[in-house]
Amino acid sequence: MQKRLKRIGGFFSSMRFGIALLVVLAAACALGSFLPQGYALDWYLNRYPARTAALIYGLGLDDVFHSLWFLVLAVVLCCNLLLCNLLHLPGVIRRWKNAGDPAAVPECPEVSLDGVPSPKEVFTRMHLPAPREAERDGRKMLFSAKSRIGVWGAWVCHLGIFLLIVGFILGQATKTEYTVYGVPGQTKQIEGTDLSVTIDAFDIDHTENGSVQQYTTRLTMHRGAEAQSGTARVNAPASLFGYRVYQNSTGSAAKLTVTMDGNVQQEEVVCVGESVSVLQTPLVLTLEAYEEEYYDAGNGQKLPGFAYSTSYMGQVDRAGVQVAGDTALRYGSVEISFSEPQNYTLLQIKRDRYTPLVLLGGLVTLLGLLLAFYLQPSRVWALETEGGGWTVCGAGPRGNAFFADLLREAAGKTPENREKQEESR
Amino acid sequence: MLQMESGLFTATIMIYVAAMILFFLFIAFKREGLARVAIFVQAAGLVIHTAALICRGIGAGRLPMTNQYEFATSFAWGLSLVSLIFILRFKFPMLGAFAIPVTILIIGYAAMQSKEVRELMPSLRSSWLGVHVSTAIIAYGAFGISFVLGIIFLLREKMRDSEFWNRHVPSRDKLDLISYRSVCLGLLFLSFTMITGAIWAEQAWGSYWSWDPKETWSLVTWLVYAVYLHLRIRRGWRGKAAAIFAVIGFICVLFTYVGVNTFLPGIHSYA
Ligand code: HEM
Repeated sequence: MQKRLKRIGGFFSSMRFGIALLVVLAAACALGSFLPQGYALDWYLNRYPARTAALIYGLGLDDVFHSLWFLVLAVVLCCNLLLCNLLHLPGVIRRWKNAGDPAAVPECPEVSLDGVPSPKEVFTRMHLPAPREAERDGRKMLFSAKSRIGVWGAWVCHLGIFLLIVGFILGQATKTEYTVYGVPGQTKQIEGTDLSVTIDAFDIDHTENGSVQQYTTRLTMHRGAEAQSGTARVNAPASLFGYRVYQNSTGSAAKLTVTMDGNVQQEEVVCVGESVSVLQTPLVLTLEAYEEEYYDAGNGQKLPGFAYSTSYMGQVDRAGVQVAGDTALRYGSVEISFSEPQNYTLLQIKRDRYTPLVLLGGLVTLLGLLLAFYLQPSRVWALETEGGGWTVCGAGPRGNAFFADLLREAAGKTPENREKQEESR
Repeated sequence: MLQMESGLFTATIMIYVAAMILFFLFIAFKREGLARVAIFVQAAGLVIHTAALICRGIGAGRLPMTNQYEFATSFAWGLSLVSLIFILRFKFPMLGAFAIPVTILIIGYAAMQSKEVRELMPSLRSSWLGVHVSTAIIAYGAFGISFVLGIIFLLREKMRDSEFWNRHVPSRDKLDLISYRSVCLGLLFLSFTMITGAIWAEQAWGSYWSWDPKETWSLVTWLVYAVYLHLRIRRGWRGKAAAIFAVIGFICVLFTYVGVNTFLPGIHSYA
């Protein structure tokens, strides 16, 4: 039983299983990018045969990246990486120690140093630190090693990926996200929190050619009596009360005025897409769209238009477009009109406490890759021969087919392959 | 400035074509001198190419890396640069004969795109753009080289008895190692691209990862190359298998670059 458990544990921590996981993850990602994501079952039923649609929905393929099985895959990969790192730790420490230990050099073919004035010269040519003296099988030895730290590359890289995935999963599970929109002067409560946001100003900067350069919202966030102010721009979010506030987008808004017998009864700013109740009655008015150059008033003058619709107790009532300066609707002595077109700002307010962990994971991964690829350890040692001459040996980075050539060249010999080529010629 | 860029761009294509012809003549006539001239011509092409990119940057008033045309020409530049580095570093002119046609294909693709300079949307006006895209260019260039090396490796088996190939193409072990080194370079820079992209996305869109098709496919490419590395260690997948894998990996790279923009539009659609 224990043997069996050990075997199962061994498999789950193995590189073979890790590779399989990476392949399955890659396939899942490809699938999630090809299959349209996030639609309702009806949409898939319209597009695919009923069985395929049912399969897509049943297996969560309609939302691959947020499905349970995808999460399970990510968690299993984390466990695999962690176990793999734990099991390999003693081996890595051993290799790290051995990489700098003259007593731990392996058996290697020896290259004679006949043409080299001093054995130390080889170390300089190989860009190694000055060698230290040691002894091997009673022979005098000069030993030098470099880039020992590279032994840790894969280990550090796996640790980074582990941190990154853990941070990502925790972030997804705990992050909070809200959307707030409005025009300057408005204060909006952030639903589900004790926070509110006042939009102090909203500016759109244009380039000389008239295209948008930057959107800037100045805002104040309130929690009880406390307040913090900041500026949110595209690419430069504000940080207030531990939340990040992003300048997300913008749209049109207009002032709605409702009068009765000529007296103003209701006045408020309505954003496109927003609905408001008129004079607190069941009549609901929606500002559907705004167009700056809607109506040709002659003499080259274009007037803006406000598209609206109304519903009464849930039933669609009227729809139309009001040209600026006109009245949109009349109900007896009640007149409803839109004016003062303006821009509203849409802000996204988010908190993800694990973003720094993800960033750390990413940086650690990069460091690991750098160590693994560019700081692989190499060792060179020279041994004195019985006749007082010297030979040199070396162990290069894993699988480095060029290392032997470099060593031969440093020892004043022709590289092996050139020798072979010359022989074959 | 943009007119000058247009002239330099056309000159670049012509010089690359000249370099390709010289590389082919080197193979046909087996004259080493021709290889040296071809490398020199390619280097000259790279200089002109760089000048074209600089003119584009000055003309547009920003880094020339934001639309299909600009990214394709930068991609070709990256491939040309990385191939020259590998040719010189590993004394391997035959690599040029195989890499330059790929470079020409990519720059040809650039030539078919609209060269119009459009103003950038606010989210693209970020200093992260330069780091993010230039690391992607190096990564794609390096993967391109590993693809070319994969093909050379597969051909080398067939040309085993050719004395010319034996003299001018490194041994299979070394070819495999050079290909591995270029995958390593590519993977390191792709990781850089993904991390800088995530930092930028967090600032611009409020989310460092959105499973946008471009992000997803760069992750797929990253995973494919990670599998390549592990199969090398675990199963000793070297040589032929690794060469085939390098070719498949580059197909993923091309899909991430061209395919995603064409078939799977998302928030990266402008790239
Ligand atoms: C998620 C993506 C992964 C990346 C980017 C990654 C990266 C790396 C790198 C860069 C190396 C060094 C390769 C070389 O020197 O050629 C490596 C080695 C290794 N990887 Fe991974 N790895 C990943 C996942 C995994 C998984 C899931 C396992 C499962 C156990 C694993 C196990 C190993 C082992 C055992 C080594 C050899 C370690 C050594 O030689 O010290 N890796 N990995």
